[in-house]
Amino acid sequence: MDASQASETPDMTMFLASAIHDMKNSLSVLTGFMEDSLGDAALREQPIYKKMAPMFYEVKRLNDNLLELLTIYKVDRKFYPFDLAEHAVDDLMAEIEQQSGTLLNTQNVNLELDVQEGLYWYFDRDLVLGVISHALNNASRYTRGSLRLAAAEVGGFLELRVEDNGGGYPKAMIEEGVAVNRGVSFNTGSTGLGLYFSAMVAKMHKNQGRAGEILLENGGKLGGGCFVLRLP
Amino acid sequence: MMFTNDSHNAFAERRFLIVDDFQGMRSMLREMLKSCGAKDIDAASNGNEAINMLEKGKYDVVLCDYTLGAGKNGQQVLEEAKFRNLIGLATGWVVISAEKTQDMVLGAAEYTPDDYIVKPVNEATVRTRLLKVMARKAALHDIEKALKSNDYKRAIALCDEQLVARSPYTSDLLRMKTSLLMKSGQTDKAKAVFEQILAQRDIPWAKSGLAKIHLLNKDFDVARRLLSEVVEANRTYLEGYDLLAKTLEEVGELDEAQHVLARSAELSPNSMTRQRSLGEIAQKRGDLEVAEKSFRKTISLSEYSVFKTPAAHIGLAKVCAEKNNTAEAIRVLGEVHKQFDDPEAALHAKVIEGAVHSKSGNLVEARKLAGEVAAMVKESAARLPAHITLEAADLIMGTGNKEAASELLKIVVQNNHENQQLIEDVKKVFVKGNMEQAGNDLVESSLQEVVQTNNRGVALAKEGKLDEAVALMRNAKAMMPNNKRILLNLAYAMILAMKKNGRDNSMEREARECLDRVQKLDPGEKLYGEYRAMLETLAT
Repeated sequence: MDASQASETPDMTMFLASAIHDMKNSLSVLTGFMEDSLGDAALREQPIYKKMAPMFYEVKRLNDNLLELLTIYKVDRKFYPFDLAEHAVDDLMAEIEQQSGTLLNTQNVNLELDVQEGLYWYFDRDLVLGVISHALNNASRYTRGSLRLAAAEVGGFLELRVEDNGGGYPKAMIEEGVAVNRGVSFNTGSTGLGLYFSAMVAKMHKNQGRAGEILLENGGKLGGGCFVLRLP
Repeated sequence: MMFTNDSHNAFAERRFLIVDDFQGMRSMLREMLKSCGAKDIDAASNGNEAINMLEKGKYDVVLCDYTLGAGKNGQQVLEEAKFRNLIGLATGWVVISAEKTQDMVLGAAEYTPDDYIVKPVNEATVRTRLLKVMARKAALHDIEKALKSNDYKRAIALCDEQLVARSPYTSDLLRMKTSLLMKSGQTDKAKAVFEQILAQRDIPWAKSGLAKIHLLNKDFDVARRLLSEVVEANRTYLEGYDLLAKTLEEVGELDEAQHVLARSAELSPNSMTRQRSLGEIAQKRGDLEVAEKSFRKTISLSEYSVFKTPAAHIGLAKVCAEKNNTAEAIRVLGEVHKQFDDPEAALHAKVIEGAVHSKSGNLVEARKLAGEVAAMVKESAARLPAHITLEAADLIMGTGNKEAASELLKIVVQNNHENQQLIEDVKKVFVKGNMEQAGNDLVESSLQEVVQTNNRGVALAKEGKLDEAVALMRNAKAMMPNNKRILLNLAYAMILAMKKNGRDNSMEREARECLDRVQKLDPGEKLYGEYRAMLETLAT
């Protein structure tokens, strides 16, 4: 393509990607500030605290969505530095617990961790962290106060579960959860970004002919919605 | 809950250095470290300041932003700190960056950071990651120490010890162990480990490692198949692309090799070595546009790097001369004199300058430079890389000093008597000087001289006269310090002598130096590994 032509029709995806990158920087300052303020004991007594909690949820959601968009863009352009390495699963779970601490505290949600001991698995830490944080963030919205994060080896797969005690997923949503693994497009009113991202991450994890997958279920130990990520 | 007073102490007892060009970020990180319990925290606002501080003080943990404004970037600070031993083995290095890049994750193993944190940074992440890095550093400290003192045998034994105890660092340990096995020539053992890993799971580094062994065995088809699989399944795995390009170059598929290198350079746009390789292969193919662009990029990327070499300048000057841009070629070569305080670089630049003038028809200038080169090269010719000596001989021959040129060519032949390609190149220079017959005779007699010396050494060793064999080969090495076969035979004679008379520290060092030299001259030499393994397993 010659240069003059290129300047007339800018590559929109490039624009979007660098804009997202830029917005993410602003958001990270905002998240940092809010996290800092919400952790301040003195603020807990102020009326503004109650208003800030849902705001923090929204800011986290924005940040997650932008990160997901950027990652999807990079994977699509074959630029994402996929880093398959062995990690201690309990370390990952502890990191997720730490990272979501402020969010869950402000919403008075109790998180129960149930991790099989001595478990090591191969995965891209940042991607899996992104998927599970998103699922937790999502579940914190629909739960009635309790969340369970579980990790265990099940039939040669690492199974990570985010369970809540809310009303569970509607039937259409559960079907989307099945369809998205097969790459079928879906339309349930939400943007579907989170599901698409999670399924993409699952599928990027392959081992000896088997690929990862996500599942949406109702039930689990807490009787509400369950988000399941299975990695080979 | 999991962070008790212990973790607080882990921070309290250590020295931290923050490197970031933004004041806001520096104070934010400082506050975070403080709340983790850190007391001793310094900060630098750019690469040079960081290097100054690392020169003066010892730090346990460095938190370094990747982008540092003008000057060195975070990766270059890390490389310089490691290369110049400004940080010890125990120092943890964590890169902070706006996005995760391939360079950070999978760069050259000895220069990758211990961990990276993608922004936004929060206290929980800093605490968890730093604790993890500190624990990992502590667990692997003994191995790295053995590695630093070149004690591969001990390092491997330590890896095995930890592997048996199902360490949380199994991946690291396996990677370290296989790299040690490869370095010490125990490729069969390394192969077994790679295959064992691959039977469980497709791990790109293990598959690349296996391919490396096939490459070493000149089993190019298998290496190519494995590496194609690696990059097909891992579209951003840089080492896979690098090795694949090398394999393709070996089998003469230069077009495909350039294509693969272009992809790897695109994936790691800040890697000067990849840009340089791309430039070199494009130059070889006559793709002058890509070659020029890549060499220019290499030069700008290496401006602040501790690994800066004049190779890209030399390559660029040649490309400019090819394009008949004599003035630019001469300017670029002038930069070599300005930027590199190194006699070999200065000599090489002068040789190419002469060649450029010669090509553009300025014979007066070419002859003047040839005279200077001939005077400079007299003492050092045997120790110079063969291609520089050959280029010098070509210039000197072309400008009429046949005697001086023949002297240099003889040295090239003697140091590389088994390198057919190079000997063909030598003969071409003789043809250029209208001395084909004399050249052939000289090549013949030099070859015989070397072969006879080698045979005498081998015969002495067979008769058990090991001291005499060592003395003879040492002499030969003094004459031909770059002759691979002589270096190998000297090392072998010394190994046999030590097997008979027991280990000897200074002889062991000498043998190791010979082998390292061989490795540098020809990274694909198989005997290197074999002898290296013998040396490592000598009984004490």
